[in-house]
Amino acid sequence: MRELVCIVCPKGCTMHIEQENDGYKVSGNTCKRGAQFAISEMTEPKRTICTTVRTVFPQTPVLPVRVSAEIPKDKIFDVMHEINSVVLEKPVSRGDVILKNVLNLGADIIATSDLLRQIET
Amino acid sequence: MQNYDVLVIGGGPAGLAAAIAAHKNGAKTLLVEREARLGGILKQCIHDGFGLVRFQEKLSGPEYAERFIEEFRKQKIEAKTLTFVTRLEKTENGFSAVLVNRSGVETVTAAALILATGCRERTAKQVNIHGTRPAGVFTAGTAQHFTNLLGELPTKKCVILGSGDIGLIMARRLTLEGAQVLGVYEAKSTPSGLTRNIHQCLHDYDIPLYLSHTVTRVFGADRLTAVEITKVDEKMQPIAGTEQILECDALILSVGLIPENELAETLGVQLDPRTKGPVCNAQLMTSSDGVFSCGNALHVNDLVDYVSESGEIAGENAAKYVKTIRKEIPIKAGERLLYAVPQKLNLNSNNQQTILYFRSRDILDGCVFKIIIDGQEVFSKKYPFLRPPEMEKLTVDFSKYQLSENSEIQLDIEVKSHA
Amino acid sequence: MNLNQVNKKLDSRFHGAVRAKLSSGCIVLSGELPTWQETVEACQLAATKYSTTHVVNNILCKEVKDIPMRMPKIQDSALDGRTPDVLIIGGGISGVSIARELSKWKLDILLVEKEADLALQASGRNDGEVHPGIDLSKGSKKHYYIRKGNAMFDDICRELDVPFRRVGQYVCFNKEFAKPLVYLYCLYRKKHDGISDTKLISGTDLKQIEPNFAEEFKFAISNPSSGCVCPYGLTIAYAENAVQNGAEIALNTAVLDMEVENGEIKSVTTNRGIIRPKIVVNAAGVFAEDIAKLAKDRFFSIHPRRGTNSILDKKAGAYMHSIASVKDLTISKTHSKGGGILHTVHNNLLIGPDAVETYEKENTETHKESIETVFSKQKRTMPKLSERDIITYFTGVRAPTFEEDFIIENGRKTKNLIHCAGIQSPGLTTAPAVALDIEKMAVQMLRRIQIVEKNPDFSPIRHGVPVLKDMDDKQRAKMIQKNPDYGVIVCRCEEISKGEILDALRSPICVPTVDGIKKRIRPGMGRCQGGFCSPLVTQIIAEFLGVPLSEVKKSSEDSAITFGRTK
Repeated sequence: MRELVCIVCPKGCTMHIEQENDGYKVSGNTCKRGAQFAISEMTEPKRTICTTVRTVFPQTPVLPVRVSAEIPKDKIFDVMHEINSVVLEKPVSRGDVILKNVLNLGADIIATSDLLRQIET
Repeated sequence: MQNYDVLVIGGGPAGLAAAIAAHKNGAKTLLVEREARLGGILKQCIHDGFGLVRFQEKLSGPEYAERFIEEFRKQKIEAKTLTFVTRLEKTENGFSAVLVNRSGVETVTAAALILATGCRERTAKQVNIHGTRPAGVFTAGTAQHFTNLLGELPTKKCVILGSGDIGLIMARRLTLEGAQVLGVYEAKSTPSGLTRNIHQCLHDYDIPLYLSHTVTRVFGADRLTAVEITKVDEKMQPIAGTEQILECDALILSVGLIPENELAETLGVQLDPRTKGPVCNAQLMTSSDGVFSCGNALHVNDLVDYVSESGEIAGENAAKYVKTIRKEIPIKAGERLLYAVPQKLNLNSNNQQTILYFRSRDILDGCVFKIIIDGQEVFSKKYPFLRPPEMEKLTVDFSKYQLSENSEIQLDIEVKSHA
Repeated sequence: MNLNQVNKKLDSRFHGAVRAKLSSGCIVLSGELPTWQETVEACQLAATKYSTTHVVNNILCKEVKDIPMRMPKIQDSALDGRTPDVLIIGGGISGVSIARELSKWKLDILLVEKEADLALQASGRNDGEVHPGIDLSKGSKKHYYIRKGNAMFDDICRELDVPFRRVGQYVCFNKEFAKPLVYLYCLYRKKHDGISDTKLISGTDLKQIEPNFAEEFKFAISNPSSGCVCPYGLTIAYAENAVQNGAEIALNTAVLDMEVENGEIKSVTTNRGIIRPKIVVNAAGVFAEDIAKLAKDRFFSIHPRRGTNSILDKKAGAYMHSIASVKDLTISKTHSKGGGILHTVHNNLLIGPDAVETYEKENTETHKESIETVFSKQKRTMPKLSERDIITYFTGVRAPTFEEDFIIENGRKTKNLIHCAGIQSPGLTTAPAVALDIEKMAVQMLRRIQIVEKNPDFSPIRHGVPVLKDMDDKQRAKMIQKNPDYGVIVCRCEEISKGEILDALRSPICVPTVDGIKKRIRPGMGRCQGGFCSPLVTQIIAEFLGVPLSEVKKSSEDSAITFGRTK
């Protein structure tokens, strides 16, 4: 049995997971998403990452970005490496894809702010 | 001189929501923001987790803020950015505010004021750190500003004091950017931040959390070179002989937030020593007629969703504000509560949808939150657990109860089983 | 006290470990002692208060570690070959006020300061009180200068555009029976020592003036001539006026050695080259003894004494509006005052300082115990005081001699040297008057070798950076119209605009660091302690200098704020 704190929402429920035949039995969760999270933690833990990318614009040297979908936890630093090699030379909008299908993980890197639109144009 | 119905001070999430709500309720509204851009501290909170309650989505800070900014612009509400309020005064019909910006000095008037001035961070000297005064001592918010807005790395190897949420978030953020976080040290015996942040920001990155430890000294004549860590007892007093020196180049502090109410105080607004924000009624009107408070200036919230919500309450009520005689009775928060907001109920107002925010003083398991009116329990709600870092919210219809000027409203937590 | 008596006293206390002998008109102590505390005690035993026969401390103290002087990082030849008429060593209040007064003359004046800015030691680390001199009696240099200095403050601060307020000082007593005695004391001070404004006021009157003071005060000595000034503000203002009038100030410049021949300083070696001055002024604070030694003119010793002050939020500033201390009717062992409460020109409260002997000349670390000691004492004056109102604290190191008096005199062995040494409290108050005397001494010394003429272009007027928050709305609007940057508030706590920051960067002595700007115009001095504004100030400095953010320093060369781009 494993104990786990749910990170899906701020409630932070403490859950217990037991291996059961081919699946898992989750208790202590207060919603469905918690159970899903618990099982994913046991099989393939995933996380989102939020960071910035460099730009050429002096007033906005970095622009916030995030992954469009969760990525495997053990790929976080590989993805950071990819993001850090990008330099934005043109203004982008919130939601625009900065890096498509990063490392073939099925997630894009997307801008999370209209900052460049607001200031540079 | 420009005249407004509602003047909102502060363009962060609380102010934006307040201005939108005031405008939608028919008030001619002006929002004043001292920075160049709207959005407040959310601009630098690039991590996700915002908006779960309101939008059922995990948004980053800028995404959350920009949704409100777009709505604000769509409504064509007037905003003055890069504008600083230097003075507020009561006038016969409301308030006058002196504004300073690149165009000069301007006085505007408003019938009602909404103070959405946010909070500031507690500093090193406020938590008794001694030693030298080197470069490299940052509050978590300042480190966040350098990292996320300016793209500059404030440390390569640091110690974080305090397990407040911003500290935890910065531990992860700095690690992602290649810095080494030696550990998060917390003087209390329990973490200050949300449990999920302990897990996703520290555990995920193997950053140790040391409870009942504090930083007592910093070293370094120029840039910080080391810190002294000391164990503390139950009263959070350093235990002599437990000092250890850790070499690092920065100390990052996440030791608490203080609501900013200096402007409020100039108007004689009464503050609650528990929240450090104004004493308000359910309409979020302070002790001064026509002055409303919301967001982190009112009390430090755990989620931005509640900040926006309180902004909306203040905005709507400020728009509807007409000076009337108040008949207020106190809402008393019992010993087990860290605090509760609002602190008063105006019997001359509609209190059908009163939103109560509260936090427990300690970690409590298996407890019941109760509202007692004149000795009679009128409401109760069970909680499997209550933790001080996590704020609770309830909507209560106070109009159902027979309340008079002599009524006493008492909030209490009953503990069925101890943690 | 003759030498035999001194040795008798030393013997009875230290059992032969320390001996005193007379040498070149000084009492030289030698021997060996385990602790610095004992070393100071031995020297104090041998010293006579206010005497010009000084104690020179040659005791080998086992506890004392050899701590090298903090050195500037820069090494170049920028000053090599310079032959100034006057070389002033030390950029504290003494050195810069002397530079300013000397700039009234057509002279080549060079002031060297080893730190990255002026007033980084004692002059920037004190409470800024302009003292009345109530505790000083005739016969000392301190007393000689205090009334003159105090009286000059209105004019000097007007000329130099520095805020100064005569807020008055109250020494409070809680024992009624002491009143007749204190009355006589004040009368004596007034008649004999010329402290003309001193008087006694009743507890009731005190209560009216300062309602938040302790209830039990029965009466107080009132000294209306007391005032407060920003000590580093005044130092910088003096320095800027000196520079405007032709003096040169070299920061990051440390004196390393001197060549002395036939009782004359021939050259002074610095990290920025060898200087050959005609005369030298020693205003080196805690290092004055070291400079005297290099100049082969060491006839006194300095025993550093540190003191810590706390700065309280402006909200606490509203509790009282003057300067106050409580007087115990027991014999105090400390030489300097035990601290007090002072309402500053910027409307904060300053609490302190304490007084702790130390051999570490530059250790300005703060300690929890200092704050606790000072607060427990000062709460007796004003019970409302709370540690919760502290926004920051700082330590300064005073530079007293064992005779606890100033040394304002020409070199005793070295001819082209003037000492301005042993300057401790009330050195800020006396500085304007001392500077005038040293000006005379220097001009006289130079006139032996050259003609010294008045500087026809001298202007005593210095304009500081405008303080927009103190202006009325109309005046402020006019300023913003001229320069819109005055309308961009960068520091919210102290209400400092971008325009003012740029003005400070363009001021006569540009110190483009976060602390340099903070000292000049106060961004970061408020309750958030730079939490909000420090990234913005860093950015403005970087833009002004045209350098990346990581090149901007907090203060010294090694105090980088960030380590470069994250990506």
